Amino acid sequence: MNHWSPTEEELHAYIDGRLAAERHEAVRHWLQAHPGEAARIEAWKRDAEALRAGWARDLEQAVPAALQPDRVRARLRRRRRDRLGVAAGFLLALGVGGMAGWQWRDARLASEQLPMADAVAAYRLFASDTGRTAGDIAPDALRTWLRTHFGAAGDVPDLGAQGFRLQSGRLLSTPEGAAAMLVYEDAEGARIGLYLRPRTPRNGTGERRDGRLLAQYWAEGDTAFALVGPATQARMREIAPLLRGG
Amino acid sequence: MTMDASDDARLSALLPRLRRFARSLAGDAADDIVQSALERALRRWDSRRDDDALQAWLFAIVYRQFATEHRRARRWQRVLELFGAEPVEPSPSPERIHEGQAMLAAFARLSPDQRALLLLVSVEGFSYREAADMLGLPIGTVMSRLSRAREKLRALGDAGTPPPRTLRVLK
Repeated sequence: MNHWSPTEEELHAYIDGRLAAERHEAVRHWLQAHPGEAARIEAWKRDAEALRAGWARDLEQAVPAALQPDRVRARLRRRRRDRLGVAAGFLLALGVGGMAGWQWRDARLASEQLPMADAVAAYRLFASDTGRTAGDIAPDALRTWLRTHFGAAGDVPDLGAQGFRLQSGRLLSTPEGAAAMLVYEDAEGARIGLYLRPRTPRNGTGERRDGRLLAQYWAEGDTAFALVGPATQARMREIAPLLRGG
Repeated sequence: MTMDASDDARLSALLPRLRRFARSLAGDAADDIVQSALERALRRWDSRRDDDALQAWLFAIVYRQFATEHRRARRWQRVLELFGAEPVEPSPSPERIHEGQAMLAAFARLSPDQRALLLLVSVEGFSYREAADMLGLPIGTVMSRLSRAREKLRALGDAGTPPPRTLRVLK
């Protein structure tokens, strides 16, 4: 065995204690005959032990809840749903509504700062123009879509008792996810819009005049709502509390 | 993404080690890396190999996530330097550099791939083959890098702390 010498891998395996007993002995003998090498290998071995000891404490630290698998999975699901919502909103707003989609986007970007300004912008685009009805989504498809994105909050309210009938629905997108504008019309052709979007910290409760329009807004769970219509529509004041109640 | 409770439990049990690995690479940014890596792992859960390979698979994902972030940070750093900002070398947080932890201080001064290799091999006890797969290196490269990493760690350790004192004969 005089001319035998361990390979680099064998030396590392010796340090890490991974050699079979026979090999281990062979390397140990070789090191005894090579004091220079032996000093280096012993020092590396001590370092490896110190490293293990040094990093051992790290395992005692509590793992943040946000890293637990169920939480990570919930985050993934939410993100995927939002992405689908945004994609669907753009497709529908662009494909179905034609240029209205881009107008909507510009209007929303321009009026980002005011509470539920997007609701007012959506109303202006989709409800105040009495001529535009083409491309509205069928009521059944609308219900399914709203259910998917807003859960129980996505129930299409029946305002028949108040004299309003669901006239059309538009699917939109916001940076926070999908949004929808439900347009109701009464016998005289007056229109009010119920707007739904994902809640953000800025979505509180209140009301706001914007030109000739009145927006009443509130939030429930993860969804922010706004009822938008001409400020002259006195019935809106009665409808908003009804919607808010259930 | 078909997972059951036992998958969750196994993944959960590995979290402290995955975090430690990420911390050895990225210090305080570790949890961001682990989080991104977990998202990646859960999205591809069905594509993982058999159960035995789960650990190695997860460690590899953490490493790749770190490598990606590290490259991005370096690119950003170069941009900042164009505007005259001082280069910042990310390293494991200084809080762990205190008495008795000189080894970790020396370790923190190794390059990221040296830290990854030493942690996987010496601390985690993965085989050289597994470490090579995780880091995407040929086995021969792992061996030579391991030698260089150990040499450098020794040099840094020597500079930082005196070796254990033995009796010396003073005439």
